[in-house]
Amino acid sequence: MGFSAGLASESYDRQYSNKTLLGRIWAYAKPERKRILVILFAVLLHGGVGALPPVIVAKVLDEGVAGIPDHQVFYLLAAVIIVLELLGYLLYYINHRLLARVIADINRSLSTDAFAASMRQDMAFHDVFSSGKIVSRITTDTRDFSTLITLTMDVANNLVQSVVTSIILLTAEWHLALLFFLTVPAFILFVSLYRNLARRVSRQGMRAMANVNATIKETISGIAIAKNFRQEERIYDEFKRSNILSYRTNVKRGMVLSTVFPITRMLGALATAMLVYFGAISVTQGVITAGAWYLFILSTDRFLQPILSITSYWTQVQTGLSAAERILALIDAEHTVIQTGGYNPENYRGRIDFNHLTFRYANGYTVLNDFSLHIREGENIAIVGHTGAGKTSIARLIARFYEFQSGELLIDGKDIRSYDLHALRQHMGLVTQVPFLFEGTVEENIRFARPEITREEILALASQIGGGEWLDTFANGLDTRVGERGAQISMGQRQLVALMRVLAQNPSVFILDEATASIDPFTEKQIQTALNLILNQSTSVLIAHRLSTVQSADRIIVLRDGDIIEEGTHSQLLKQGGHYSELYNTYFRHQSLDYAEHAGG
Amino acid sequence: MGVSEFSIPFRYKTNKANPVVWLLSHTLHHWAVFLAALLGAVGNAALASIPAIQFGIVFTNLTSGAPDKNVFIQAALVITFSQVLRGLFQLMRNLAFEVTAQRIERDVRDEFYISLLGKSMTFHSLQSVGDLMARATNDIREVNFLYSPGINMVFGSINFLFVPPIIAWQIHPALLLTPLLFILTYFIAVTAYLKKLRPITDKVRSSFGLMNSRLAEAIDGVETVKAAAQEENEIALFRRNIRAYRDASVEQGDIEARFLPLLLLALAMGFGLLHALVLFQQGTIPLGDVIKYFSALALLNFPTNSSIHSYSQISLGVASARRLLSIMNTENNLDKNDAGRAEPLRGEVRFTNLSFSYNTHNTALQNINFVVKPGQTVAIVGQTGSGKTTLVRLINRTYDPSEGSVQIDGCDLRDWRLDTLRSQISIIEQDIFLFSTSIADNIAFSKPGATRAEVEAAARKAQAHAFITALPEAYDTIIGERGVTLSGGQRQRIALARAFLTDPKILILDDSTSAIDSQTEDEIQRAIKAASEGRTTFIITHRLSQIRWADLIIVMRRGTISDIGTHTELMQSSASYRNIFTES
Repeated sequence: MGFSAGLASESYDRQYSNKTLLGRIWAYAKPERKRILVILFAVLLHGGVGALPPVIVAKVLDEGVAGIPDHQVFYLLAAVIIVLELLGYLLYYINHRLLARVIADINRSLSTDAFAASMRQDMAFHDVFSSGKIVSRITTDTRDFSTLITLTMDVANNLVQSVVTSIILLTAEWHLALLFFLTVPAFILFVSLYRNLARRVSRQGMRAMANVNATIKETISGIAIAKNFRQEERIYDEFKRSNILSYRTNVKRGMVLSTVFPITRMLGALATAMLVYFGAISVTQGVITAGAWYLFILSTDRFLQPILSITSYWTQVQTGLSAAERILALIDAEHTVIQTGGYNPENYRGRIDFNHLTFRYANGYTVLNDFSLHIREGENIAIVGHTGAGKTSIARLIARFYEFQSGELLIDGKDIRSYDLHALRQHMGLVTQVPFLFEGTVEENIRFARPEITREEILALASQIGGGEWLDTFANGLDTRVGERGAQISMGQRQLVALMRVLAQNPSVFILDEATASIDPFTEKQIQTALNLILNQSTSVLIAHRLSTVQSADRIIVLRDGDIIEEGTHSQLLKQGGHYSELYNTYFRHQSLDYAEHAGG
Repeated sequence: MGVSEFSIPFRYKTNKANPVVWLLSHTLHHWAVFLAALLGAVGNAALASIPAIQFGIVFTNLTSGAPDKNVFIQAALVITFSQVLRGLFQLMRNLAFEVTAQRIERDVRDEFYISLLGKSMTFHSLQSVGDLMARATNDIREVNFLYSPGINMVFGSINFLFVPPIIAWQIHPALLLTPLLFILTYFIAVTAYLKKLRPITDKVRSSFGLMNSRLAEAIDGVETVKAAAQEENEIALFRRNIRAYRDASVEQGDIEARFLPLLLLALAMGFGLLHALVLFQQGTIPLGDVIKYFSALALLNFPTNSSIHSYSQISLGVASARRLLSIMNTENNLDKNDAGRAEPLRGEVRFTNLSFSYNTHNTALQNINFVVKPGQTVAIVGQTGSGKTTLVRLINRTYDPSEGSVQIDGCDLRDWRLDTLRSQISIIEQDIFLFSTSIADNIAFSKPGATRAEVEAAARKAQAHAFITALPEAYDTIIGERGVTLSGGQRQRIALARAFLTDPKILILDDSTSAIDSQTEDEIQRAIKAASEGRTTFIITHRLSQIRWADLIIVMRRGTISDIGTHTELMQSSASYRNIFTES
């Protein structure tokens, strides 16, 4: 159970002991300690100041009852009230400003640490945990945690006010005060009963809302297709059903949530009525003064309001702490890829050797066992095989995204673990299967791996591909914005930009996980040209999905269940009639011109 | 409403001149509930003054020298009953506002959806679905919040502003000074506050959005970031973005800290008390009235504290209503043309000197001329952005050309009845939308009431029968449930089966689907070949085999036709065409 009960948990989640958790939270709060101290002081003062005006008003009344006093006493007391109220406002002002800064700054350092941790985390980690959930930890959870700070200050303020009020009431008349305190359990009982009900209705409501939202979304995405087939009426009926369902759910939820204040209002009124009566009786018996009676009346709200907010505080504390726990778990998640040295040579030749290497995924699934492969300097190899044969693992081990369990992986004859990882990766160019671009211009994306390259150099590189004509297909050439994740340009264009990025980087080792998406034949030709340019300048490992890519490799490695079963050139292997020719017939046959020539007919 | 492709009348008329008027016309439709809400609010505020009056009575009695127990009992009972009644009024107010809010959410969404259904295909192909969804869910929810808690709190609390002046008037007219001055300055201060707050909250939202989207992007693209060894640069960028968000939040905090009504309330309480005491000292009012007055002033606390939040809620709601109206008031440029030509199509398509632009400064298509004979298959090829999709969308009158014309069977599209055209022209898009219902229902979507045998026959022709029967519940498998997802090629074949059911005379197919293996490719090829038999077919394609064997090939380049002809003709006349059919 713990704090994260009811929320989806991840395997890197851990349970911190209360002491550790508070210690960690304190580490983030520590730089803010001066501000927090001032805030706490202001809160204490505000709570005290807030409880005083009724006392003064009561004092004034008693003076008045005793006979018409000197007007200076009145002015003085009224002046004290004004000063107190002004002081209260000033304290609120200081408090709010400082709190805004404390929250924003703690929030900032927590999010930054969480983001930095997830950036530095291994690929193995990112493979397992969805990016959406990581993002929500960095943004939503940090915000939930800062809400905890606001709440704590609020409750501290209320608590002080309630304690000061209690002391004032007790000193004024302890019998009446005790009678008054008797109403407190009734409030607490009501609030906790109500809270359970509200939580249940809310949860049901949330779930129903999620379903309804999904249907509404679907009926909106379905409009275009409905219009295509002239089925508007039908989809409208579907929409209407879910809209009405949404209405019913919301009304039910709203009904429960809108009863709480009226009911606490009624309970509060009962307490006041009791005070009015018993208090007045006490006055006639001479136990308390009329001023003290009014003091009790004025204090009802000041006393009961804090109780209400303190009662509901605990659930929110749990929400806040479990949010903190989730953020810290993300920050503390352990790495698996560990470097042993910081070797950083001037030049990389690009020789890669796998010697008797074994590689298992975290779930224990063995991909490569006693695997050996030697790639010469400048050689271009294509790896082919069915899904799950281990193609991607080989590429990702070279990029040092994963740790292997035994054997050796040498770059230029030296253990890959002994390199400075950052520098090593700067000498490797990688294009992923779905080429990833960042919001920004084409130029910014090409420059991503080598920020210092000039626009002229980029243009010179671009002109090597079909005379740079491909840039014309972008609305604003190099300055075209590609949209989030490159969504505003086509898949073919994204691949071209990703290849341009590697061309600009000019790496010693090039790793390509080729896309399977289809590209228009004109762009396909340009991609091929770009690819050939890269192949000429580096050692390349190609996970090939295109026939033309396989054919352009110096050597084809045929992989089955993590073992190399055949190797050679395209024509050699096809002639052998082994696993490669089977793969060819499964994956590549339909890409040949020969197929195009005979498919239609 | 103007012209529309499809119209069902919304249940009642609304005025869409501006957001406030529009919301008002919705509110008026639910006048009974809304009135109950207002009544509840007024009753709640009116009864709130009773304890204050009772305190005064009891105090006067206590200090009169002859205290009367009956007065106390009476006061306690009056307070109890009035406040229980007040609780009931408050309950009525809350419930009625809640019901109003939910009903208006329901009706606004209904009206919005009906309006979406009436929009042209042009509108729907230009408008992002994600944006419409956000409006139909989040923005409409904001309108709901505008009523509850928004108007509920504002109206509920503003009522309280008028209680102190009434009590003050009863005690002594001079005492009106403080509450009236407070009300006046309160409104000025709140207006100024909101005006100041608005640009800052916008800044907070936009800086958060920027930080969030880049953050999500960096984590999605973490492989690329790592491969390029750019982790530290990304972290530095995040630091900059979150710094901007932090600064905006602090700025908002500073403005909230200066929330002036709180100060005004502090002053009003102090000066009000002083004023009453001075009147008491002069013998103008009894001490009990000082109590009454001070207790009444305490009621100002509620509108002061609740206004920080609820005014912003209302301004957010109006902003959302504006966003909804901007969609609803978009003019439709196409109409149903029910009086137009209505007869079966033969399938001859002719483009004459056609130009088209989406907006004034960009021409999407220019000088397009070609003729397609009934039953021909046309392959349209070209790079992304060359105008392929726009070209085919002119065929089913998704858009009207800016210049020139499109004719089917020798008759301009604008003279055809829209329903006739659309029901005989089918478009299969690249991203095929399937509903989360059974596969059979998805296929039969185009022809409600189709029998299972018809559905299966269509699926067989579309080469979809084999993979459908391999699914856990065959034709009754619900898409999206228990992880049932279909590949692009499978979705495409379901869409083709839909087309077989409607049997359109013209089929438009955006076939940019990729087949990973040769067997799937064979099946897709067979399905499309079967679908193109006996009808005019336009295929936007990347497949060399489809290009190779089309009756007519149109090569698009930057919005114009750069080459047109048969394979043999183009192999002779076009260098770039020849290039794609050459081994590298």
